[in-house]
Amino acid sequence: MSQRTGISNVFDERLGDSTAFTAVAAVGALSLLATFVLFVVESDLASVALVVFVAAAAYGWLFHQAETAWGLSVLTTLVGIVVLGLILVFLFLEAEKAFETAGLSLLLRSAVPVWSPSQGIYGLQVAIHGTIVTTVIATLIAGPLGVAGALFISEIAPERVGELVKPAIEMLAGIPSIVYGFIGFAILNRYLFYELQLNTQGSLFLAGGVIGLMALPTVVSVAEDAITSVPESMKSGSLALGATDWQTMKGITLPAAFSGVSAAIILGIGRAVGETMAATVILGNVAGEFPNPIFDVFASTATLTSLIASQYGDAAETQLSALFVAGVVLFVIVMFLSLVSQLIERRMRRQLEGDS
Amino acid sequence: MSNASERGVHRDHSPLLPTVSAGVVGLSFLTFVLAWLVLFPILTPSTQLVGGVTFYDVFGLAMLLCGVALVGSGVASRTGYVPATPSATAGVTTGVVLGVLGFVVTGLFVSQTLGIDGPMGLGWFLAAFVGGAAVFVATVAPREDVGSTVPIGAFALLAGLVVLLGVIGDSWTWNPSGLAATFSGDMAVPVVALVVSLLTAWAGAKAYEGFGARGRQLGAYMFVNLNAALMLFVLFVLIAFIVYRGLPGVLRGAAVGLGTGPEVAFGLHLPFDVPFVTNSYGLRNDVNGVLPAVFGTIWLVVGAVVLAVPTGVGAAVFLTEYSREGRFTQVVEIATNGLWSTPSIVYGLFGLAFLVPRFGNSASLLAGQLVLGFMLLPLVVITTRESIKAVPDSYRDASAALGVNQWQTIRSVVLPAALPGTVTGIILGVGRIAGETAPILLVTSSSMSPFPASRFVPRVLSGFQFTAQPPFVTNTELLQASSALPYQLYALITAGVGAGAGSDADIDPWSTALVLLIVVLTFYAVGIASRSYFRRRLQE
Repeated sequence: MSQRTGISNVFDERLGDSTAFTAVAAVGALSLLATFVLFVVESDLASVALVVFVAAAAYGWLFHQAETAWGLSVLTTLVGIVVLGLILVFLFLEAEKAFETAGLSLLLRSAVPVWSPSQGIYGLQVAIHGTIVTTVIATLIAGPLGVAGALFISEIAPERVGELVKPAIEMLAGIPSIVYGFIGFAILNRYLFYELQLNTQGSLFLAGGVIGLMALPTVVSVAEDAITSVPESMKSGSLALGATDWQTMKGITLPAAFSGVSAAIILGIGRAVGETMAATVILGNVAGEFPNPIFDVFASTATLTSLIASQYGDAAETQLSALFVAGVVLFVIVMFLSLVSQLIERRMRRQLEGDS
Repeated sequence: MSNASERGVHRDHSPLLPTVSAGVVGLSFLTFVLAWLVLFPILTPSTQLVGGVTFYDVFGLAMLLCGVALVGSGVASRTGYVPATPSATAGVTTGVVLGVLGFVVTGLFVSQTLGIDGPMGLGWFLAAFVGGAAVFVATVAPREDVGSTVPIGAFALLAGLVVLLGVIGDSWTWNPSGLAATFSGDMAVPVVALVVSLLTAWAGAKAYEGFGARGRQLGAYMFVNLNAALMLFVLFVLIAFIVYRGLPGVLRGAAVGLGTGPEVAFGLHLPFDVPFVTNSYGLRNDVNGVLPAVFGTIWLVVGAVVLAVPTGVGAAVFLTEYSREGRFTQVVEIATNGLWSTPSIVYGLFGLAFLVPRFGNSASLLAGQLVLGFMLLPLVVITTRESIKAVPDSYRDASAALGVNQWQTIRSVVLPAALPGTVTGIILGVGRIAGETAPILLVTSSSMSPFPASRFVPRVLSGFQFTAQPPFVTNTELLQASSALPYQLYALITAGVGAGAGSDADIDPWSTALVLLIVVLTFYAVGIASRSYFRRRLQE
C-alpha cells in the first residue's frame, strides 16, 4: 500500500518534478475545458480546442509519460461525474417549458383526460400508475424467484450445476429487451387476447410479467453475491448445532445477507421502472384515462418509459418537454433507488466486517 | 422405549409413507407439466382420450387422488400407523400460505358464486377473512403431520371434485366485475391444477422425509430446484423458439461453397452466402436483408468502445492505484453506480437534448455512439476496478522493490495482470449495449424506414473529409441517421409487418430477431467463456 499516494501528494511531487510538465498540463486542461465549453455553446471551434488538447496530451505522453498518465487518469475519472451532471442539467432544462405551461398539474392532474396533447393537456398520472402497476407485478415475480435462484446457485446446487446455471442466467439478462417485447407482442399478447377475451391487445399484467422476467437476472446475480459473502464460520456454527442446511439458510444465512438481498431487490425494482422497449411494444400507450376500475390490471395504458418511446417522434414542443418531465420523474426515482441500495450495501459490508 | 424400537422395525419393513408420498410428488409433477401443456394450448383440454375421458377429467382425478393420499398419510402418521418424526406445528409460513389461499377461495365463493359482494358491502370480505383464519388455525394448531397434509389434501379433494363433476368445465366462464378479462374453463382448470399440484407436491415432499426439519428442507429444496430448472427452461424455450421461427428466413437463398459469397477483396469471395445478412432492401433483390442494420450496429458498438474503454480504464486506474479511499472516490462511486442504473430511455432523452442539436439537429450515428459509450462507461469502470483490485499487492511491492516507478508498475505489471477481467467485462458490456433500442431510437434511427436500402449502409471509413475551416475534419457518414438491428426489429413491429411475413420480399421480424440474438449472445458466450477460462487458470 505504501506506494499508493493521495491526490495532493502526487500533485506536489509532479509540480516539483518539472515546470515543463506544469505548462503542458495547464495547456491540456485549459484546452479540454475550452473544448467542453465551446461544444456546449454549439461552436465549431470546439474541434480546434480538441486538437490542441490532443497535441498537448501527445507531447506529454512522449516526454513526461508518468505524469501525463496520472493527469489523464484524473480527467477520465471526472468524465462519469460530468456526464451524470449533464444528464441532470439537460433533463431539467428541457422539462422547464412544460412546467411553465402546465405547472404542477403535470403530476397532480387526475381529471380525465389526463394526457391529451391535441387539447394541450399534459398530465402524467396515468403513466405513473402504469409504471407502478407493472413494477409491482415485476417485483412480485423477480423478488422471490430471484432470491430463490440466488440461494440455489450459492448454497444448494453442486458446484458443477451452479457453474452451469449462473452463465445461463447471465444469458437471460443478455437477451435484448426488444426481443422479449417482440415475443410478448407477437405471441403472448394474442394468446391472452383470445383466451381471456380482452378488449385490447396488450395489458399491464403481461407487461409486468415480461418485465419481471427481465429484472430476474439482476436480482439473482446481486443477491448471489450478497449470500456468498456471508462468512462460512457463521454457517458452520449453525450446522454444528445440528440444524439442517435449510434451517441454517433460513435462520443464519438469509438474515445475515438481508441487507444485500434487499439491495438486490431494490436494484431489480430500478431495472423494472426503467425498462422501456418491452412495455412500449406490449402496451397500447394511451395515457388519457385510468383503467376502470383502477385495479384492472388487464387494461392497456402506458408506463412513463413507454410514453416517452412511443410519443417523442411526433411530439410538438410542449409535448416533448412534458415527455422530458416523465424522464425527470424516472431519473429521480431510479437515482433514489440506486442511492438507497448503495447505502444498504455499505451498511452490510460494515456489519459483516465487524462480525468476522 | 419399546415403542421406539417397534417404530424402527416398522420403518425397515413397511416404507408405506415414503412410497405413498413419492407417488403424490410424482403425480403432482405430471399434473404440473400437463397443466402447462394445456395452458399454452399444445394440448386441447376437451380432447376425448380413451373412453370419452377429457383432460378435465384427468386433472380432476389426479387432484382427487393426491388429496386422498395426503389426507390418508396425515391421519396414518397422527395415529401412529406409520412412523414419522413430525414437529409440534407446521409453522407460521405454511399457515400463512394456506391462510391466504383459504381467504381467496372463500372470498371468491361468497362473492362470485353466492353473489354477496359489492366492494363497499364488506360481506364477502368478512366471510373470506373468517375462512382464511380458519384455514390458518387448522394448519398451525395440530401437530405438523396433520397440519401440513390435511388442509392441502382437503383443498385438492375439493378442487378435484369441482372439476370432475363439471362445476368448472368446458362451458364454464367467469367474468369478474372490475377486470376486463373473462376466464374460461380452458384457462381456469389448468391454473387451478397448477396451484394444487405445487401444494400437493410440497406436502408430499414433507411427508416423504417423515415431516420435521428434514421434511421441511426437502419441501423447500423442491421449490428452489424447480425454480432454477424453470429459469433454464425459459432461456432454452426463448432461444429455441426464435431459432425455429427465424431460421428459415435467415437461410432463405443461402449457399455454401467456394466463390459463392460476396467479394471481400482482390477477387476473393467468402465461401458462404447468407443474403439475409449481406443484402439491403431493394425492389430487384431476390431476398431482402438487413445489411444496413448490421453495419449500423457494428459502427455503434465500435464508437461506444472507442469512447468508453480508454475512459473507463483510466478512471479505474485512478480510483484503485492513485487515489486513497476518501470523499472523492465515494462521489465517483456514487456517480458510477448512478450511471449504471439510469434507464436507457433517459440516456436517449439526454442525447436528444444535448447531442442532437450539436450535430446538425438531426439524428446521427455519432450521437448514438456517444450515448451508448456513456452507457458502457460505468460497466467498464466497475469491472476494471474489480479486476485491478484483484491483482495481489505483492506484485506491486515486487515491482517497487526493483526501483520501478509507479506508472511503470501500473503499465507493465498491474494492467497486464488485470487484462483478462477487464476484457471480459468489456465484452459483456458490449453485448448489453448492442441490444439497446431505446437510446438509438431517439438519437440515431428515428427517421429510418424499416426497410432501409443499400445507400443507408454507413461507410464511415471513406466518409472523412478535410476542410480548411473549422471543424477541419468532417464525416458526413457519422452525422447521418443509421439503422441498427434492435431498431430494425422495433420498426418492423410498429410498421405492423406482423408475425408471419409471407413473401420473400418482406423482411421477417423473426429472422431479424434471430440475427440480433446471435450477435448479442455471441458476445455473452465469448465473455463468459473467457472469464471461466481465466478463472480456472488463476486457480491452478
